[in-house]
Amino acid sequence: MIELLAITDDPAPTAAPVRIVPAGGLGLVVEPAPHGELDADALWRRESLLEELMRERAVLPVRLGTRLEDAAAAAEAIAPRRAELAAALERVRGAVELSVRAAAAGAPAGADGFAATAEAVHARLAAHARASARHEGPELLRAAYLVDRGDVDGFVVTVRDLQHEHPGLSLLCTGPWPPYSFTEGPAR
Amino acid sequence: MNGKVLAGPLDGDLDPFARPMPNLSNALSRRIDADPESVEQGLAQLVLTIVELLRQLMERQALRRIDGGGLTEEQVERLGATFMALDQRMEELREQFGLTAEDLNLDLGPLGRLL
Amino acid sequence: MSSAGAIAERDVALVDLVDRLLGGGVVIAGDITLSVADVDLVHVSLRALVSSVEKARPQQP
Repeated sequence: MIELLAITDDPAPTAAPVRIVPAGGLGLVVEPAPHGELDADALWRRESLLEELMRERAVLPVRLGTRLEDAAAAAEAIAPRRAELAAALERVRGAVELSVRAAAAGAPAGADGFAATAEAVHARLAAHARASARHEGPELLRAAYLVDRGDVDGFVVTVRDLQHEHPGLSLLCTGPWPPYSFTEGPAR
Repeated sequence: MNGKVLAGPLDGDLDPFARPMPNLSNALSRRIDADPESVEQGLAQLVLTIVELLRQLMERQALRRIDGGGLTEEQVERLGATFMALDQRMEELREQFGLTAEDLNLDLGPLGRLL
Repeated sequence: MSSAGAIAERDVALVDLVDRLLGGGVVIAGDITLSVADVDLVHVSLRALVSSVEKARPQQP
């Protein structure tokens, strides 16, 4: 069994400790299906691998735990979606995902009056990104932004500015991440 | 792991953002015990519930396809065997974690009550 | 940074990572293995069921 970790736009081999299977112009990032406990260290090792790949080529992460019999089965599974995946790779090329969460500082999440502020923060940040996606979560805002590599510093400055403008909100920005939130459909 | 925090709150308090199992916390009923002592059991309960949900979805979908005549005899047999094996495994695991079928009957909001 | 600060940063980063691992990434028709405490809970074939699971997911606004 192999685990499919990601799909890339470059079928050439990599120095990273992972195998790239060429498939119709794309590269399938695979490794022998791991055994044993899925703990935080294992998740971070997997993540580091994807980030290393992301520095050298466009990468679409695949859902955690996606296992197939072998490389041939993996190539067969993605064949019908090749065009769609190539388009998705095009949309994320040269960009990284940044995460932003906003909570009401010193007050329970969802405190009245902050919803509009969270909306405004989201809109300001979305304007600095190629695409954005809001996620379900307990915070007032939980969102992902697809940001050009060269704009990451400017995006972070905007987050800090927004934090100063809205002291009643706690903002948290993490990244860069591979584009987990931008693998499906047209970028929002 | 390289530092991933790019910007944080002015007071440096990250606690509001450190809640575990964030994606599913909204979907959990109060029956999931937040006591750290039983976190493992709570986690097992949650995972088993998701698996049970998948199993029921699979069964429903498979039945639809079987009724629609879209499967070969071999495929039908394989589906049946898979569900039986899953069912058996689920029972073994419930025993292992000391959970009853009722314990898996969580309210998952929009996904509705499972059992 | 204090070690407590480093631990807090690692915790919140893990939350963001797990959020992405659970909810993001390309969904390929394959087998998913879910494990808890070193036990392979189930080996689920999604070949016939990706669409059913997708429909059951909470909608993203």
